[in-house]
Amino acid sequence: MSVAQSLIRSARFRAEREPDWRRLEQIVTKTERRGLRSLSLDEAQALATLYRQAMASLSVAREISLDRALLAYLEALCARAYLAVYAPQRRLRGLFSHLLVYGIPGAARRLFPLILVGYLILTLGGVAGYLLFQDDPTWYNTLVPTSPDDPRGLNSSAAELRSVIYDGADSEGGELSAFAAFLFSHNTRIALLVFCLGIAVCVPSSLLTFYNGMAIGAFVALHESKGLLLDITAWLSIHGVTELSAIAIACGGGLHLGQAVLFPGELRRRDALRRNARDAVKLALLAALMLIAAALLEGFGRQLVQDIPARLTIGLSVGAFWIAWLTLCGRGEAP
Amino acid sequence: MIWRRKTKDAKPQRNPLDPDRRLITDFVPPEGVPIRFDVAGLGARLIAQLADILITVAGLIAIMIALVFSDLLPGTAIIVIGSLLFFAIRVPYYSLSEILMNGQTLGKRLSGLRVISADGRTLSAHAVTVRNLMKELEVFVPGTMLLASSQLDGVSAVLLVIWILILGIIPFTNANRQRLGDILAGTYVVMLPKPVLLPDLAEAPVSEGSFSFLPHQLDHYGRYELQTLEALLQVNAASLNRAALLRHQSNLHKVAQTITNRIGYPTRVPEDQAGAFLLSFYRTQRAYLESRKLFGDAREDKFHGSRDSQPSGPS
Repeated sequence: MSVAQSLIRSARFRAEREPDWRRLEQIVTKTERRGLRSLSLDEAQALATLYRQAMASLSVAREISLDRALLAYLEALCARAYLAVYAPQRRLRGLFSHLLVYGIPGAARRLFPLILVGYLILTLGGVAGYLLFQDDPTWYNTLVPTSPDDPRGLNSSAAELRSVIYDGADSEGGELSAFAAFLFSHNTRIALLVFCLGIAVCVPSSLLTFYNGMAIGAFVALHESKGLLLDITAWLSIHGVTELSAIAIACGGGLHLGQAVLFPGELRRRDALRRNARDAVKLALLAALMLIAAALLEGFGRQLVQDIPARLTIGLSVGAFWIAWLTLCGRGEAP
Repeated sequence: MIWRRKTKDAKPQRNPLDPDRRLITDFVPPEGVPIRFDVAGLGARLIAQLADILITVAGLIAIMIALVFSDLLPGTAIIVIGSLLFFAIRVPYYSLSEILMNGQTLGKRLSGLRVISADGRTLSAHAVTVRNLMKELEVFVPGTMLLASSQLDGVSAVLLVIWILILGIIPFTNANRQRLGDILAGTYVVMLPKPVLLPDLAEAPVSEGSFSFLPHQLDHYGRYELQTLEALLQVNAASLNRAALLRHQSNLHKVAQTITNRIGYPTRVPEDQAGAFLLSFYRTQRAYLESRKLFGDAREDKFHGSRDSQPSGPS
């Protein structure tokens, strides 16, 4: 029975269009194997046209055809063609530069109040830790996570503390391994958790940030009690400006997520979360970037630069750099 | 739960061609024709995840061994590179590979999965980053804590179990099996379908004999039975071994008998003509049902006449 005589409408429909589908399948397979770039101009144009034709065929076939083989094939073909046609087109470099110029600074400006709240929680924690230490120095052991081989502790002498600050006695293997140690350090984990836990209605984020502030407050108070306030400030500032800011920013991002759960407004909570995640994630990326920068500063800068004014200058100028980037960059319309 | 439902989620729809599969029903590309992807099973996703972990860790170890033996770098530098790579095989690996490979990591490619954007548009770098950042919370942090679980005290262990349970339950609470990261990013994980076009039975030559059917004999069945019959007839007899071929032929005969009984076909169909009978019945029935459908009378299955009353027992 030839096609023209076939009485079944859906069989004629299929026979008329099958060569086009086959060609589309061939182009899609080529795209999947070797990428859109490997297509010639003809093939690229054919891909767009044939894809739309196949979608139209699918729409019609669902209405008129009961041919299971045809329906399954068209569904699969259209799905794969869709994925080939709507593949991400942007280059990685373009993505990164857009993120650095527009994405991150814009998000930081929009969420500035929340970042401020993050700083506030951190500062409050610091003050609380400081006051607790003044009240009873044994709080230090509770608040500051210590390892057994850490020379710093309640019983350390001023000379021991000083040696950590200036000779790097806490890192035996020199700059690079200090950098490595940092990546696994306490603060990186804190920043990550602070961000992710924001989704649980802000509470764990705020608590962790507060606790981290307390540890720093007690740490500073310990050094102050040994008369090393200026030294420890300079020591902390060289990377701490960046590192603590990263925690405050991660906290701001976490709070933004928590906000969506607490105050979804007109939206469903999941939709509110999706909306807020756009900016919150950029803050998380910013925090990650700053933590890597802090690791570099800690690994190299802190060992190479030994006097107080230079340490303070570096710390503050790095801070000024972050502020300048986040406030000034990408103010225009994003392309 | 913190999720308040303002609108009810659509009931999980089953694939009409294969009722064991779940379908994504609300996925509409810009062309406006919904594409029904199969929801990826959680087992396949777990396997893809494990494969990814194996691949990345193996890659990391291979690079480290190569560095150690090449003697190009001092020991401390190797430690630094190792620690950087250790972070790179987590969120950055998953995000970058899903951006570069259009929604697939190596593990997903192996198990034929794909991430798509729920709104029908191009999968954005933002969505990929979000779903993989949340993976840190869902997989890596609990995973590493689980590995170190011998050092946990009672309270932390209970908290860890609760954490894993809550995040593990989320995919079961929604029809499209989205984990928390998928919900936040607005993505689905789907099976990558394979386009295989089987021949059109309406055009296959009928070998011998001619059977004809009257309209009232075609009123008994609907789409479901027709397509089940098609699946039976699409079996490629040439690829079967002897035992399977015999079984296939006896199946054809049984089906042919059932159909003749049900529709009241006047003559008995001899066993060697069962295939030809079924093929010509399939054609006539399909032409009939398709024309009924064009007139607005779409028949889903053999209960089409008694939709309002309880479906009665099998024929």
